[in-house]
Amino acid sequence: MAPKKDVKKAEPAKPAAAPAPAPAPEPEKPKPLDLSSVKIDFTSEQQEDFKEAFLLFDRTGDSKITYSQVADVMRALGQNPTNKEVKKILGDPSVEEMNAKKLDFDQFLPMLQTVANNPDKGGFEDFVEGLRVFDKEGNGTVMGAELRIVLSTLGEKMTEQEVETLLQGQEDENGCINYEAFVRHIMSV
Amino acid sequence: MDCSSEDCNKQQDEEVLDIPLDDPEANKAAAKIQASFRGHMTRKKIKSGKPGEEVRINTRECSADVELCNRELG
Repeated sequence: MAPKKDVKKAEPAKPAAAPAPAPAPEPEKPKPLDLSSVKIDFTSEQQEDFKEAFLLFDRTGDSKITYSQVADVMRALGQNPTNKEVKKILGDPSVEEMNAKKLDFDQFLPMLQTVANNPDKGGFEDFVEGLRVFDKEGNGTVMGAELRIVLSTLGEKMTEQEVETLLQGQEDENGCINYEAFVRHIMSV
Repeated sequence: MDCSSEDCNKQQDEEVLDIPLDDPEANKAAAKIQASFRGHMTRKKIKSGKPGEEVRINTRECSADVELCNRELG
């Protein structure tokens, strides 16, 4: 006869130590974008072209570019990111990091996609409207001198050199610029 | 002049030009235009020939000339 076993009372389940969720400290820096979740929409042919262009910027032969080159490579590939946008995508790097940190094409691609996906990009009409604000006489032109000052004092200020390069050959004999034609010219390249 | 002291200062600095330095919308619009300008300038610079590539090509041409020179000198 099988000895009756005392039916032991089920031991009271040990209270599982409730895992105290570590309170995530509110980061002072904006959280870096989660680039791993970015879906790449570019075709493989486009990606090949991009990679070829990317490698042209590699100055050290390790198939990488520095953070400070990212904005220019994106521009070379047809995008028009603001410097602020690029900085955010790079995780708000310091000046030292901008010059020292590097990335390869696989890290760069989702960044490029993020910029390409930005719905807030300006278009022809936006730029013309933006410049129309300075069209005092409402005749389709703005003073080159005024535009120079606007570009160097507002937004992401441009240097004198940048402004000169940009406006080279754009002013008529009166120092005026037809801004619709100007914007069209800008957007054609 | 009938204006508040703030406006007066600004007007004195930019009498001729009316630049909305503190207007966030104006700055945001300016940044977008500047972004497209910078994009355009970078692409234009590259189309006119990347310095890196040019240097490589020039070096090749130089070596060819040197060879010619040597031949001429006998």
